[in-house]
Amino acid sequence: MSGFQNGNAPVRQMDDDSDVEEEALVADYQEQVQYEGMEELEPVSSLSMAQQADDLQSRLLAAAQPLDFSAPLEVKFASYDNYCSLFHFILNSDGPVDLEPPSYFWAWDVIDEFIYQFNSFCSYRNRVARQANNEEEIQILREAPNTWGCYSVLNVLYSLIQRSQINEQLAAMKRGEEPVAVAGDYGSKALYRMLGYFSIIGLLRVHCLLGDFSLALKTLDDIELNKKAMFARVMAAHSTTYYYVGFSYMMMRRYADAIRMFTHILVFIQRTKNFQKNAQYDSISKKSDQMYALIAICVAFHPTRLDDTIHTALREKYGDQLLKLQRGGPESLPIFEELFRAACPKFISPTPPDFDNPELNVDPLEHHLAIFMDEVKTNMWSPTVKSYLRLYTTMDLKKLAGFLEVEPEKLRGWLLVNKQRSRQIKWQDTGDSGLLDGEVIAANDLDYAMQGDIIHVSEAKVGRKLVDWYLRNLARTY
Amino acid sequence: MGVPFDYSPDRPDHINAILNGLDRYNPETTSIFQEYVAEQCEGKFTDTYANLALLKLYQFNPHLTKDETITNILVKSLTVFPSPDFSLALHLLPPHILTPVSVSSALPAAGDAPLSEAVQKLNVLNNLLGQASYSAFWSTLDSDDLYADLIADVAGFEELIRIRIALTISQSVREIEKQVLESWLGLQAEAFEKFVTGVCGWEIDGSVVKVPLNKENEAKGSIVRENVKIEQFSRVIRRAYEQPA
Repeated sequence: MSGFQNGNAPVRQMDDDSDVEEEALVADYQEQVQYEGMEELEPVSSLSMAQQADDLQSRLLAAAQPLDFSAPLEVKFASYDNYCSLFHFILNSDGPVDLEPPSYFWAWDVIDEFIYQFNSFCSYRNRVARQANNEEEIQILREAPNTWGCYSVLNVLYSLIQRSQINEQLAAMKRGEEPVAVAGDYGSKALYRMLGYFSIIGLLRVHCLLGDFSLALKTLDDIELNKKAMFARVMAAHSTTYYYVGFSYMMMRRYADAIRMFTHILVFIQRTKNFQKNAQYDSISKKSDQMYALIAICVAFHPTRLDDTIHTALREKYGDQLLKLQRGGPESLPIFEELFRAACPKFISPTPPDFDNPELNVDPLEHHLAIFMDEVKTNMWSPTVKSYLRLYTTMDLKKLAGFLEVEPEKLRGWLLVNKQRSRQIKWQDTGDSGLLDGEVIAANDLDYAMQGDIIHVSEAKVGRKLVDWYLRNLARTY
Repeated sequence: MGVPFDYSPDRPDHINAILNGLDRYNPETTSIFQEYVAEQCEGKFTDTYANLALLKLYQFNPHLTKDETITNILVKSLTVFPSPDFSLALHLLPPHILTPVSVSSALPAAGDAPLSEAVQKLNVLNNLLGQASYSAFWSTLDSDDLYADLIADVAGFEELIRIRIALTISQSVREIEKQVLESWLGLQAEAFEKFVTGVCGWEIDGSVVKVPLNKENEAKGSIVRENVKIEQFSRVIRRAYEQPA
């Protein structure tokens, strides 16, 4: 049932939006028309009050509207100014602003769009500098280094979080207390509470885009990742959160945790996909394709048994690639690269580019990819090693090296690497553990030790897991 | 084991306060973090979470960047391999840092060519450690004077690395040829014996070195059974009550 509500509500909101857009346009137009008149006719104060409120509502709505991707620079600048003045008004007025958010999804839409525009502006600016063939735009961008600046974006997000006391409220909720007690004047208002809440998720995203994966995870300390969480009521927020958390885990080499995150949200998306429609579903299915690609990468690093439905879908979408990834070796490298490129967030560099040295403005994606690929290369022989060891209980190292046609010394290295990498930090649910907590676990069913040149191999067999199957069938039958 | 990534037992309170507040973005705290990095270099401990905060400040304020501190942070994070700390630090450096030096040094305006050269050299070391090519690691370290400069500030660098190497070895080795171990640790003769018996507590027996059994190098087979909790059935049981057939 909850799936139904979750899926259906955003769709309804979309319909609202198109009306609202028109309304906003009308209001905008009305304002312009009246403005001219106002200079001559001193308007009655009550009228101006009413109109101001109108104007505000339209500004709130405008802030949640997506900006056309190909909008010219001036529009991007103007949009930045609009956000600044809107957030300035919300944050720095005399006391909390008495406004109702236009809809439940509004706060998410605003923060989402705000960060999306910041993201695409930074990428665009970097591209202009790299290509260095549009003097006019270079000049404009050079003169406005602070537009869509990193500090101002972070400032907005942190201010919204602080004003709304959202972290304190969430901590209180975790302890089972009433959040109202710590909410303060601002935080008790829906507008601030929701903006503050989604700003935390916004921060997760911004940190991840900047390549700070540990801080990204740290940001979510006070948010509980479960179905009762506030973000779960907004489908887009739900999938965004899990995507970025999962990605950050992957970059911290915590593949088991990453898989857990992706699996959770993908199962949820699969269950609700019948209720989602059109435009919204398009963006979500794009995101989920990316997450399947990331799961494929994580499973290659950390072979594990996946949820049945996820496994089937993964084989459907990336069957060939998955096979090559799991086989390892140099042939797998291009596949890792291809999937990473397709599935990573659009990384940005926080500072204005160096317009005088176009060559220095490397796409941040290439940077992060290079670091990631080093880790892939370190690991690429593990599947080979494992596939052989699985066949024996004891094995002579030199003989195995002969099979693999490598020097014994190399093979010793591979064995050490595989052993190290099969020890992973994994999150444990202890009630109040943050996302960065975890215990070291042996993430591999194959274990071995070297005694001189003899390799002793042992396998940890996993007994059949029946409870899940039993429960699912029970639920189906009654 | 089981220590959260953002926790460091050696971290002083004032650093903790900065990390948990908005001052972590304040350019004025750069110098405090820099001093803290210097402390870590002398005191043989590593606080990656704090160092990443400093790199973030550099990322936001490139004019404050101090090349020496960056390389020190990277060298420190080598000493905690095989954790991902080195990579996490690299992610926060400017994107052009890993492009081959020949490209950027061809440009006279590229002021930080020395930094990217240093970072790439350290990255080579990191990859060697990651790939467990320990003897190649030691010979690379000796091959270039630049390395000596880079690790000069970090007290006990070689010792710290050796301990880490010994740790990874003890995970998967019960017995190893002395010759191999010597090349892995980059030590010979007396120094080798002292380290292996004194620091590691291993036993040298003629031409082999014996590593005492531990949880990791036992390699015992086992069967993992499903852990069933009553909570998993709570919904089924509840339904049985709610909908009496």
